[in-house]
Amino acid sequence: MARCAAGYERIIAVKRSLKALLVVLTGVALLGSACGDDDDAGSGDTAGSADTKITIGAQDFGESAILAEIYKQGLAAKGYKPTIQKLGGFRDLEIKAFESGTINFAPEYAASLLEFLNNKAGEAGSDIEANLKKLEPRLFGRAKLQALDASEAVDTNAFVVTKATAEKVGLETLSDLATKGKDLKLGGPADCETNPFCIPGLKNTYGLDLAPKFQALETGQVADALDAGSIDVALLFSTDGRIEAKDYVLLEDDKTMLAADNVVPVVTKDLAGDESLVDAVNAISAKLTTDDLIAMNKRFDIDKEDAAVIAKDFLAEADLL
Amino acid sequence: MSATTELVSYVTTSSHWTGERGIPWRTFEHLRLSASAVAVGIVIALPPAVWLGHVRRGGLLAQSLVNIGRAVPSLAVVAILFPLSLRYGFGLGFWPTFVALVLLAIPPMFTNAYVAVRTVEPAVVEAARGMGMKRAQVIGRVQVPSGLPLILGGVRVATLQVIATATLGAFVGFNGLGSFINEGFRQQDDGKLLTGAFLVALLALLVDIAFGRVVLRITPWRAAPRATKGSSL
Repeated sequence: MARCAAGYERIIAVKRSLKALLVVLTGVALLGSACGDDDDAGSGDTAGSADTKITIGAQDFGESAILAEIYKQGLAAKGYKPTIQKLGGFRDLEIKAFESGTINFAPEYAASLLEFLNNKAGEAGSDIEANLKKLEPRLFGRAKLQALDASEAVDTNAFVVTKATAEKVGLETLSDLATKGKDLKLGGPADCETNPFCIPGLKNTYGLDLAPKFQALETGQVADALDAGSIDVALLFSTDGRIEAKDYVLLEDDKTMLAADNVVPVVTKDLAGDESLVDAVNAISAKLTTDDLIAMNKRFDIDKEDAAVIAKDFLAEADLL
Repeated sequence: MSATTELVSYVTTSSHWTGERGIPWRTFEHLRLSASAVAVGIVIALPPAVWLGHVRRGGLLAQSLVNIGRAVPSLAVVAILFPLSLRYGFGLGFWPTFVALVLLAIPPMFTNAYVAVRTVEPAVVEAARGMGMKRAQVIGRVQVPSGLPLILGGVRVATLQVIATATLGAFVGFNGLGSFINEGFRQQDDGKLLTGAFLVALLALLVDIAFGRVVLRITPWRAAPRATKGSSL
């Protein structure tokens, strides 16, 4: 009997400590959520409503993070309370996040998005207006999305090699790559394999299949891997500050596989109905240029500055805060 | 498409079985990396563990050091070593992952081997000494063979952890089975992702079965009491 009683007491003691643990864990969880909410409201005019829920999706590369910050801070200055959701992936994940309602705003690229949504039909051309017109029904078909005004800033995929490789193999254009570089190793973000302006585009336009030796890498690793000689050809973006800083050779797209990839914000139909929000977003997009992107990417990739700081400087310079 | 049909359709596509990004090559790379990490881990962990177990001293200190190792996340090791590996010419993938896996493999092997040798029945060790055995003989003919099931149990646990964790290498460009998982996730290709997960699980299972057979062969006297089949502590 005595033994039984002792056992019972022990169980009670264990239960008590479990309860205490639970209380502590709950406290920590609540603390965390309270901390997450203290984003200060914009200090500018308060045309926007803080009730409009805006979640901006940022893809897994620097420029997308910077653009997301620019739209976030620009909207915050108008009294909105946008938040950023890092997607940890690329367009494939972003569209799913739209469809599931996780995000309702994303900085995008007109041509790449069009070719993604039309299953690589090859509709995107070098005319941004035509691209946007074709994009409209495709976007609406997927999760009732809508594109706002496109900016004049353009960022396309960029295939680069080191100067040494360019001289050794004799590479200046993507056509050269197709004839002399079949055995070279291409490295880039994993989505290159499905991106119509990457491996599938090279196959269709140049007849070059780099898939068998493709090396999938995290976005931030690509340039370093090229420097180390672990890959021969790197997929970067045309607005990457490192192309100039590191003297890489940008292979010319002589058969115009790449199309007008202007930065364009994509939102859900609900958000597009908010006129003052649309005006605010369009005002930001109107100020953005390709040179801005190059300068901001350089600060992010080479100087290792924070996306939020870079975005704030841009907005201050453009008088949008 | 359901998950199963996507998995089946990916695995049954013949182009996924060729080249350096195909299933056989990546499986081979995965095994090569795992085997090297376990082998090096054995060389590093077992001799000191056996020695300390034999002299019955310094165990607590060594044990604590090894246990700190358990708390270090493999992903962090991989991420920290990656830029160094590139800078010093070791290239992508293999070396950063290898080091992380060796560190992962050491703790269970060390702990098991130390306890195995230390807990051999003292009377048996005394008897061996009484027969005139020298120290090396006591270790080699009595303590290690008696503790072998537990020692091998540690190696077995380490091996399974290493095979499962080698998938992390994909994040630094190691071309093993983890690459299917990483690419499948990034490309929203469920068939590819599931193929990676399935193959890693299958590989771990097959290696574990093979291991069980080998253990049985090396230590046949353990065949009867199966309940105490070597496990970690």
